[in-house]
Amino acid sequence: MRSISLFFKGVKQTLFLILSLLFIGEGTYAQSATEGATLFKQKCTSCHAVNRVVIGPALKDIDQRHEEAWLIEWIQNSQKMIASGDAKAVALANQYKPNVMTAFPELTPDNIKSILAYIKEEGNKPAAAANASAGGQSGESGSNDEVNDFMLGGLILVIIIAFLVILVLNRVIATLERLLLQKQGGVIEEEKAKRGSIRSRLEHWNALLNNKKRMFFIVLILVSILGTMGWIGMWDTDVHTGYQPVQPIKFSHQLHAGINKIDCQYCHTGAYKSKNASIPSLNVCMNCHSYVQATDKYNGEISPEIKKIYRALDYDPTTKKYGPDTKPIEWVRIHNLPDFAYFNHSQHVKVAGIKCQKCHGPIQNMEEVYQYSPLTMKWCINCHRETEVNHKGNAYYDRIIAAHEQLKKGEKITAAVLGGTECGKCHY
Amino acid sequence: MESNKKYWKGLEELHNTKDFVENSKHEFAEPLPIEEVLNEAGLSTVTPRRDFLKALGFGLGAVTLAACQRVPVHKSIPYLVKPEEIVPGIPNYYSSTFNGHSVLVKTREGRPIKVEGNPNCILSKGSLDSKGQASVLDLYDVSKLKGPMLNGSPATWNRVDEFIKNELSKAQSSNKKIRIISSTVNSPSTKAVIADFTAKYSNTKHIQVDAVSYTGIIKANENSFGKVVLPRYHFDKADVIVSFSADFLGTWISHLEFNRDYASNRDNASLKNKKMSRHIHFEAGMSLTGSNADTRIPLKPSEEGIALIKLYNALGGSLPISKDLVDNPNADKAIALVAKELSAAKGRALVVCGSNDVSIQILVNAINSLLGSYGTTIDLDNPSYQYAGNDSEYVEFINEMKRGEVGAVFFLNTNPAYDYLNAKEFSDALAKVALRVSFADREDETASLCQIIVPNHHYLESWGDANPVEGYYTITQPTINPVSSTRYAEEGFLIWSDAAVKDYYQYVQNNWSKNIFSKAGGTSWKHLLQIGSVYAGQKKISSYTFTHDLNAVAQTIAVRSNTLGKKGENIVELHLYENTAIGDGKTANNPWLQELPDPVSKVTWDNFVAIGPKYAEKLGIKEFDLIEVKSATHQVILPALLQPGQASGTISIALGYGRTKAGKAGSEVGKNAFPFLDFVNGTFQNASSVTINKVGGRYELAQTQTHYSIEGRNIVRETTLKDYLKNPSAGTGRRFENKVDLWKEYDRPGHSWVMAIDLNACTGCGACVVACNAENNIPVVGRDEVRRRREMHWLRIDRYYSFQEEDGKSVTEENEIKHLENMDNVSVVYQPMLCQHCNHAPCETVCPVLATVHSSEGLNQMAYNRCVGTRYCANNCPYKVRRFNWFNYWNDSRFDNYLNNEFTQLALNPDVTARSRGVMEKCSMCVQRIQAGKLHAKLEKRPLKDGDIKMACQQTCPTNAIIFGDANDPESEVYKALKSERTYYVLEEISTKPSIGYQTKVRNI
Repeated sequence: MRSISLFFKGVKQTLFLILSLLFIGEGTYAQSATEGATLFKQKCTSCHAVNRVVIGPALKDIDQRHEEAWLIEWIQNSQKMIASGDAKAVALANQYKPNVMTAFPELTPDNIKSILAYIKEEGNKPAAAANASAGGQSGESGSNDEVNDFMLGGLILVIIIAFLVILVLNRVIATLERLLLQKQGGVIEEEKAKRGSIRSRLEHWNALLNNKKRMFFIVLILVSILGTMGWIGMWDTDVHTGYQPVQPIKFSHQLHAGINKIDCQYCHTGAYKSKNASIPSLNVCMNCHSYVQATDKYNGEISPEIKKIYRALDYDPTTKKYGPDTKPIEWVRIHNLPDFAYFNHSQHVKVAGIKCQKCHGPIQNMEEVYQYSPLTMKWCINCHRETEVNHKGNAYYDRIIAAHEQLKKGEKITAAVLGGTECGKCHY
Repeated sequence: MESNKKYWKGLEELHNTKDFVENSKHEFAEPLPIEEVLNEAGLSTVTPRRDFLKALGFGLGAVTLAACQRVPVHKSIPYLVKPEEIVPGIPNYYSSTFNGHSVLVKTREGRPIKVEGNPNCILSKGSLDSKGQASVLDLYDVSKLKGPMLNGSPATWNRVDEFIKNELSKAQSSNKKIRIISSTVNSPSTKAVIADFTAKYSNTKHIQVDAVSYTGIIKANENSFGKVVLPRYHFDKADVIVSFSADFLGTWISHLEFNRDYASNRDNASLKNKKMSRHIHFEAGMSLTGSNADTRIPLKPSEEGIALIKLYNALGGSLPISKDLVDNPNADKAIALVAKELSAAKGRALVVCGSNDVSIQILVNAINSLLGSYGTTIDLDNPSYQYAGNDSEYVEFINEMKRGEVGAVFFLNTNPAYDYLNAKEFSDALAKVALRVSFADREDETASLCQIIVPNHHYLESWGDANPVEGYYTITQPTINPVSSTRYAEEGFLIWSDAAVKDYYQYVQNNWSKNIFSKAGGTSWKHLLQIGSVYAGQKKISSYTFTHDLNAVAQTIAVRSNTLGKKGENIVELHLYENTAIGDGKTANNPWLQELPDPVSKVTWDNFVAIGPKYAEKLGIKEFDLIEVKSATHQVILPALLQPGQASGTISIALGYGRTKAGKAGSEVGKNAFPFLDFVNGTFQNASSVTINKVGGRYELAQTQTHYSIEGRNIVRETTLKDYLKNPSAGTGRRFENKVDLWKEYDRPGHSWVMAIDLNACTGCGACVVACNAENNIPVVGRDEVRRRREMHWLRIDRYYSFQEEDGKSVTEENEIKHLENMDNVSVVYQPMLCQHCNHAPCETVCPVLATVHSSEGLNQMAYNRCVGTRYCANNCPYKVRRFNWFNYWNDSRFDNYLNNEFTQLALNPDVTARSRGVMEKCSMCVQRIQAGKLHAKLEKRPLKDGDIKMACQQTCPTNAIIFGDANDPESEVYKALKSERTYYVLEEISTKPSIGYQTKVRNI
């Protein structure tokens, strides 16, 4: 939780920075609309959208429904207006009970005007166009990927063609040169000699083939090269480092753990207490995503990925009701240990104090998660051999370490010393 | 002397039969077909080079193609909304109630996977029997119904309710009787529901009936003391226990409580105080309790009453004896000695009898009264409510049905079509009833005769309660949502009677706050759910004196004795008994219980005719011969089993077998013996007179008994109390000091896991075996595979017979033959045998792939994924505790009665690998529990405490015979136990240095 509050603090700071920068700039109408856009995204989107009801009402044509002065007063402190008995304000408050609009005393009338300008501008865009543009955008990005692949393929093709062209041209040049020399005369012998040299080269090869010792040597080299390649290839059978399956939701660890710095434990609650780190249940997602809907990225629409959460829970974001037609999300498991290997997260994370990244890699930078470590037994054992046991301050180890230190004077107590490489520690 | 004592596991071994000698030479039951392959034909077979190359090429191609298969994609599906208390990977424990015993149910991710005794339970004190351990598997039984049935086809609850209500009002208006037939109900809430129902439908009567009845004792107490109760027996307060065929350690009344109490006078702590109870047992067939007795005297059922009259007379009574124990001079002599011992221990003596005959039980009451047992070892003021069946009411109900007086009948947890002595009579009578409703969870024998089946929840899905003994109330709490569309039987009654509160959970809660909390003192509902039970404490126990005249009783006993003891060609006395696993047959569809060997005979998956070896010889019956057993009304054909210790002229057959509609595992296993019950003098009696005939043919029983030979080695060690008092280490044999060793010495600097097993506390009940099955995902292999000696149990209980002489001398191998005449007088030792986790393990040295190695904590580890199945280790293991997986038992249609479906697989423990075909396995010393216990301590940053880690077998042991712990901790229980003078190690002389120490069996003779 602390990390979330830190995150909000961070956001606040940036916000003030941006605001102060904005104040420095002079506001023309166009500028104020852009300023309004920024402010809208920062202050309003958690409850409002232009074209649809979120927590608060849709804001399209707000300027036609209310006067500007009333709006400024309302936005700065709506509760005060309700308390003062403003008829419109009371009616509005009753309509959206029990939700209450946050007061924004920090927004100056100019700020509010710019926000209103932005809303007006946005409201004037036809909704369909907005959708189309959003669709187009995603389509474009999709085709971009294809173009990339296509371009790579094309490039290779071009190189191959160029190579062929060079070969052909070379040939042509050689023929032309020969013709030129033929015209000059006395060159045919040279040609013959050249042919002769080819023949002699063939004989040379034959001799080479007939030389059994040499042949054996060559075969040996070939076999050892192929064998090594095969060996290395086979060795990695069922090792899936880099395994990056397509997940049902494009969840970004980069965004959540990296940029927003949400602690791993916030979602993977089991890591500190259980064998399984556990994939968070959807109620954990909803802690934030009941209001964090990334509408700014999707032209006021709820992010399609977040919508998948709503779909799974049969949650209606407008009425905020959960329906009965739930459907669990089937994530694709990335880190697969065989059934006969027992692994316990809490032993490693809580007792040994190992960082998640040690096995899972730079998870905070992963847009999509992939398997970072090979998860082979060799990899486990190596770590057990090298890692010193985190026994300080853990009374469990006191007697055991004491018993071992009598044996191992001064040597470091690794997991392996305490029996961490024995079969029965993981296989049962 | 002790080291010479001859022990044997079965008659084959005793007689060293040819087959046995031959078999014991082989490691595996079926020799490998090496000779067939290597014989001349095999070697001279020509494989053309081209064929060889073709096969090679095809093989390579096939393997390559198979290897090209993409790695399977695993899905990870989180909860939509995770319940707060569930953390995936961490078990939750809920208190609940099994059979009146408070239990803790281990659940993982919302599914119950193991049941363990609740240490708060005043009866079990944290232990649990084999049935309780196995009960979790019943939840995942595929043979259960998925929803209510109406006239044989699935129906909705509404329709069923409408139908029943309609029929009920018809029955009510036409003044027909409504009957609720159930096994004993001691749940206060269920009773209240039935009372409410009776209030609405005034023609209703609730009749309780137990398949194996205790009406005799209840009626006798009514007759003797005016108390219609089953008393509580206190075996812990008895120094001399005399039992007449009461199997109080196996199945009798409250056997878990009795186990604990009985062992408290015989275990290590008691012996240290130089105190041990004396137990004398008279019975026909060898029971679990009889086999634990210090002195056991075979006694025919017909002689039982006479013997009791003699005992009564010897204690000072004067009853006429119509017939003396002429056929049984041993018993005659013994009665006189027993009387002496009993009168010497007045106030600390207890006589119990397993008979259901009211007269016999009245006589037993009189004897106990003479001995001053009332108020000390027998408590009539805090009675037990575990059995309350009334046999005569039940028979009267059948007559009511015959007369067409019954309009509606409800069967709750009872199955008369199977266990009534005349099924035909019952089903004909039942056909006359208009409304027939069964609450069975499956279409069993009775349910299939009913129009309506309204399946009840499994207890792990239910709210409920129980009141097993006076003042003690336990709560049943669901651990999983109902898996199928089942419903509480109680909720049915509430709906049909239009009760105000129809939700049974609410009803139970109301009932507790209204009636029980005030009585038993408990604080709040929430607290109750945490502790599982409340106990009001004992009421004052007062003493009772028997004052009635016994002449009429003696008369009845004499008449009964004459009927039972009928003489004639092939006429024998039949003694019917329950075995510890299958009991009365309600749990017959539980494969864990079917495969749990009967403690004495070690037979699995069948019942049989037990017959004494000498008597069988006289009749020309050999082992496994098919025998026809015939009474006036019933006949069955069962294989014979030669049972040492069986009284001559008697046979024994187990009840609970021969179910026809139990389900996949339990149907058509053995034969039904319930029809042999006699209804005499108002009670069902478990003895009758039958004729037996050899019908030709053999049937091999799946017996685990002689699968492994002990080769005359000194594996079990015992002594007598006299010798023990002189020298506590008596009988432990020679200590072996090995000066030379083949193995290197290893340190165990951290933990050193060891175990101590007290042979004197172990009663051989087998609860540990089932607990081990549940904890370690041990497959069930079925009858055929047990015959091939392929049972998979990691922990087995070996049963050794030896001869006992009256003067305390044991029979040694040299003079064994001349004593063979007296085959009845055998004594038994039970020895739990599991991987000994040898420090110098012979199995480890022979493994070519290092699949079994030693840990620095002293465990002999088995890495399944490394094992290639050479079975060298099993060959080299001197304790024969390694098991080989011949099949993928969980994915093979041949093992359809167990895990071969996804539903039942939910019972698997996710922390233990389900082993695949072709690998060895054995006791891992519950390494998953060790690791979990260590991790728990690490997470809490504290040293590991003794008792933090308990083995599954240890946890469930009713007598605390198994102690596990860290030998590096001098304060630990196990350290102290192994320091006991009685400790010895099995096969110490071969220097395997086992981690498991046994403590000698002590006999009080």
